[in-house]
Amino acid sequence: MRQIKIPLLDHIGEQIRDLRKHYNSGEGISQEALAHQLKVAANTVSRWETGTYRPGLEDLEKLARFFGVSIISFFPQDIAEPENDDLLALLRTARQLHPEDLEELRKYAEFRKARRIYKGRSRPQPGRKGAKHK
Amino acid sequence: MNLTSDYYDLKLLARRVRAENGLTSPRVQQSDLRRIYFKNGIEIDYWPYPFKYLRGAFICDDLGTTVMLAQNLPQDPMIFTMAHELKHFLKDRHLGISYCDESNISKTIEIGAEVFASEFLFPDQYFIEYMQRMKVKRGYCDAEMIVKLKHQTRTTLSYAGLAIKAERLRYAPSGSLTRLKGWRKLEKLYTKQC
Repeated sequence: MRQIKIPLLDHIGEQIRDLRKHYNSGEGISQEALAHQLKVAANTVSRWETGTYRPGLEDLEKLARFFGVSIISFFPQDIAEPENDDLLALLRTARQLHPEDLEELRKYAEFRKARRIYKGRSRPQPGRKGAKHK
Repeated sequence: MNLTSDYYDLKLLARRVRAENGLTSPRVQQSDLRRIYFKNGIEIDYWPYPFKYLRGAFICDDLGTTVMLAQNLPQDPMIFTMAHELKHFLKDRHLGISYCDESNISKTIEIGAEVFASEFLFPDQYFIEYMQRMKVKRGYCDAEMIVKLKHQTRTTLSYAGLAIKAERLRYAPSGSLTRLKGWRKLEKLYTKQC
């Protein structure tokens, strides 16, 4: 079994912080400004970064689009790299697609893959870390 | 096997799936298709980001069986796309991925999915029976009759789908309905008259 060196939520939090700090050629963007862009509450970004809140997959998709990266980049490389056959198959068969649709379909395929990683590798409850839900 | 017999088989399949799922009218709703998807373990993703031409895609791989649907599709095209993707699940799973947009609509496999979807939503036999009930003879079906048919049956098969069916079953001369634009205008007129 593969060992994940740091918990997935912490890794995702670090990735978000890293992307935020290096945004716009290193100028960065504040947590509040990013929250505003993503239409989430002002303190949400801070809580994602510290691993207090678990960003939903839809949030990660929005973040990926904002920073112009793949949703897969939020996950540790050792769990995100394998199982790439679906993407290769997609690119092989979808050559006739309009380039914009192909790009969107690629993002969707990555979203599916991210969902598997998220569901399969980490099972934290939504909401506050450690909080119990009824 | 030739194309005609393939399409005939697809129609049989569509009617069988309808029967198995208790669909007895030309009004198939999204909830009916969602129920069939659920029963077959197909996950649905309504993708909120816009596509230029793409309506849906079917993917079956080690990540599971999923149908992606463009979230902004209006009701009838959404239902048609769901029926179309259902054919890919039933017949083309081995391919891994199928998508539907304007570029591949003429491919045999995609025509097959269109044939399946059209029969699934409104079987030819029902169409013929309704035409007979409306006393429409072959070759004499016009746009107004199609609007009337859509209203009377409350079918979720689109005007474009009904037009193709009417011409294919020779109720309307070739091109007389499928080239027509402005179905919505006709519908408004019909509603006013009623």
